[in-house]
Amino acid sequence: MSFKSLLARHEAVLVFVILFEVILFQVLGRNFLTERNFSNVFRHSVEIGLLAVAMTPVILTGGIDLSVGSMMGLCAVLFGMMVNALGMDPWVAAALAVASGALGGGINATLITRLNLPPLIVTLGTFSLFRGLAEALTKGAESFSGFPASFLALGNSTVAGLPAQIWVFFAVAAGIWFLVHRTTFGRSFRAIGYAPEGARYAGIPVARNTGLAYVIAGAVAGLAAVILVARLGEARANAGIGYELLAITAVVLGGVSIFGGSGTVFGTFLGWIALAILNNGLTRISDFKIMDQTVASVARELSGLLTGLLLLTALAIGASIKTLAVRRARQQPIPLSKPDPATP
Amino acid sequence: MKPILKLTEIRKSFGAVRALKGVSFELLAGEVHALLGENGAGKSTLIKVITGAHLPDGGKLEVAGAEVSHLSPSKARELGIACIYQQPALFPDLSVAENIALRLKKTGIFSRVRWQQQRANAVELLQRIGAEISPDSEVRSLSMPEQQLVEIACALGSGAKIVIMDEPTASLTQKEQHLLFKVVRDLRASGVGVVYISHRLEEIFALADRVTVLRDGESVGTNAVDTLTESQMIKLMVGREVASIYPPCEGAPGKVVLSLKNLGCAASGVKGVTLDVRAGEIVGMAGLVGAGRTELARILFGITPADTGEIVLDGAKITISNPGEAIARGIAYVPEDRRRHGVILEMPIAQNMTMAIHPKLFPGSILRFKAESLLAANFIRDLGIKAYGPEAPGGSLSGGNQQKVSVARWLATEPKLLILDEPTQGVDVGAKSEIHKIIRGLAKDGLAVLMISSDLPEVLGMSDRIAVMRGGEMVGVIDKDQADAHSVMAAALGTNGKEVAI
Repeated sequence: MSFKSLLARHEAVLVFVILFEVILFQVLGRNFLTERNFSNVFRHSVEIGLLAVAMTPVILTGGIDLSVGSMMGLCAVLFGMMVNALGMDPWVAAALAVASGALGGGINATLITRLNLPPLIVTLGTFSLFRGLAEALTKGAESFSGFPASFLALGNSTVAGLPAQIWVFFAVAAGIWFLVHRTTFGRSFRAIGYAPEGARYAGIPVARNTGLAYVIAGAVAGLAAVILVARLGEARANAGIGYELLAITAVVLGGVSIFGGSGTVFGTFLGWIALAILNNGLTRISDFKIMDQTVASVARELSGLLTGLLLLTALAIGASIKTLAVRRARQQPIPLSKPDPATP
Repeated sequence: MKPILKLTEIRKSFGAVRALKGVSFELLAGEVHALLGENGAGKSTLIKVITGAHLPDGGKLEVAGAEVSHLSPSKARELGIACIYQQPALFPDLSVAENIALRLKKTGIFSRVRWQQQRANAVELLQRIGAEISPDSEVRSLSMPEQQLVEIACALGSGAKIVIMDEPTASLTQKEQHLLFKVVRDLRASGVGVVYISHRLEEIFALADRVTVLRDGESVGTNAVDTLTESQMIKLMVGREVASIYPPCEGAPGKVVLSLKNLGCAASGVKGVTLDVRAGEIVGMAGLVGAGRTELARILFGITPADTGEIVLDGAKITISNPGEAIARGIAYVPEDRRRHGVILEMPIAQNMTMAIHPKLFPGSILRFKAESLLAANFIRDLGIKAYGPEAPGGSLSGGNQQKVSVARWLATEPKLLILDEPTQGVDVGAKSEIHKIIRGLAKDGLAVLMISSDLPEVLGMSDRIAVMRGGEMVGVIDKDQADAHSVMAAALGTNGKEVAI
């Protein structure tokens, strides 16, 4: 791959965006480029990172999963109940929470692939359903805490210089990268995203493979719930509210087409980092002054505004580079084949 | 009498395909003028030119003696041109009266809806054509022929001077047909010119004054209907040299690979199909569009599984309930709609070629990129695919080369039975004969080939036997030496073979 075509890739745009963010926050913020803050950035956004990488296969098939945030709430509550009320070992409960997530994903998968309902509608339904279940189980107010320290270490300790949960994230991200880029499942996700009917005519088990993407998204949401509980030391029904949209933002920021088919797990990874650094960086600007007016309290509140700007700018840059490349290719047509002498 | 519609030397191309190569046609007021031709002869394109849906590349179009240069659908409507399609284009959730009013009136955004007048208008129009339809019923609740009558009422109400009917009787019962004929005759009596398209020759004799026959995008003559016999009409439609450009068939066919007995599927309208296909044999499938050929292929490929009859493959009775199963049993299907089903345009051709052999080429579901590009490179070389490499996206190739990629995908499955659906549709002449050579070569290597084609010379030139379907049923299997354009077309149209023979 030439340097030019490398530059034209969406991932390259993201690397520049991330570098720009780092420089900006280092200049404006306090203690931004420190080892401790570096750890913090990732410790606090691992859950969204997990949801984002697991959302990637779903979006590659041309679908979407709005229920993962609510699934976190439900799995967190189930986990809390299993440990507190049933006195289960937290690690066994964690495994069961992941299994519950997979089961929830299976509900999405069944409705989408067997009844041919649109993913947006199905997961909008389970988005309310799962959160509602979590709230019903806790009667709206109850929360669970008092987990053993050995479990809480998952959310708060450091392993080999990095936050413990980061290693979990790396393992999951590597697994999903392998699935998407190195197996026939990933190949079929793309085929389904580009042309579901075409994939069917090629003999690809469209329903089974599409369903798999939703089951994985559900299971990873369960895992994200466990990690969130370990970090906060508390399991509540409101765990993961709004996380589904942040995860989708990271995926789309990472250059995965919302129409399905094209995109990479590495792109999602970079999209997640750009998002995580932005949100952390804003908390670092504590004595940001404009004309001697302290706007410290404002910086954090700008998070939503800047996330939106970041997403739209990165997509606009990516799209215009692509348009430019297409225009240039049109001006210099490359002959793909010799003209056929038999054609009149 | 002056023609109300006159087309002179109309030309229209789609990419490399020349759909109309200089067609002239004229329609008089108070005349029913039939338009006849095989599938793909250019009838639909001609209609679309008349209704303004397609802008011709060249030629002259005159309406009521005045030349019209840039005809658009709305301008055509203003000029009094109305078209009734096979599939009525009405709003299913609105009432009959509302549909008629929508079609007739030009209303601004803020103009009032005059319900009473709208309804009275609809009642009057429906009465004029003798249709017993309530103006208040929802269009959704009407049958297909009733909807067609509503379309005719719209055409009448808009004061159309030129009415085009595209196979209006395709879905009508005998009684409804008679009603329709009466309406057409009334239209004629009131001075409207009717362009009538139908495959049913007896209708043309019953209804039309003149007939223009199209063949390969050219008009081969306009005649008064009473000067022609049925046989002469068929000859005009198909009468061309079947050139010996087709690769010769060699060797005797082997054992029976596929045997169908009374096969049917209620959902897709295929019934009672019995057919044998042998190894090393090409069985051509002829018939009109909608005769059930593609539907039969879909049954064999497990897209719409059969519900009656049996499929015997290599001597064993089998069922096929999904494409994966068909592939596993050695049945391959190169679909008709290349761009939607045959090739995924965004994906590299190498990935397209291996798509049907994932389990075989990639054990344990792990991709092997080297094996994949090697396989692709071999097919690119063997089939003479023109592309810059295995990584070229399918969409960057020409139609003929895309078709070869689609064929390669299915050859990779090493099938026993290869079903090809319109393998050379929209493919240029050079690539077409290359594809023919590939198909013949495969049969020579012992593959059983079932080739669906609406291209009559292709069916005649390529097939060892020709199976003809009509209305979802197999109406005859003709041996190569007995088959000619006449016998095949007569069987496809359902006219008596003896009468047609010359």
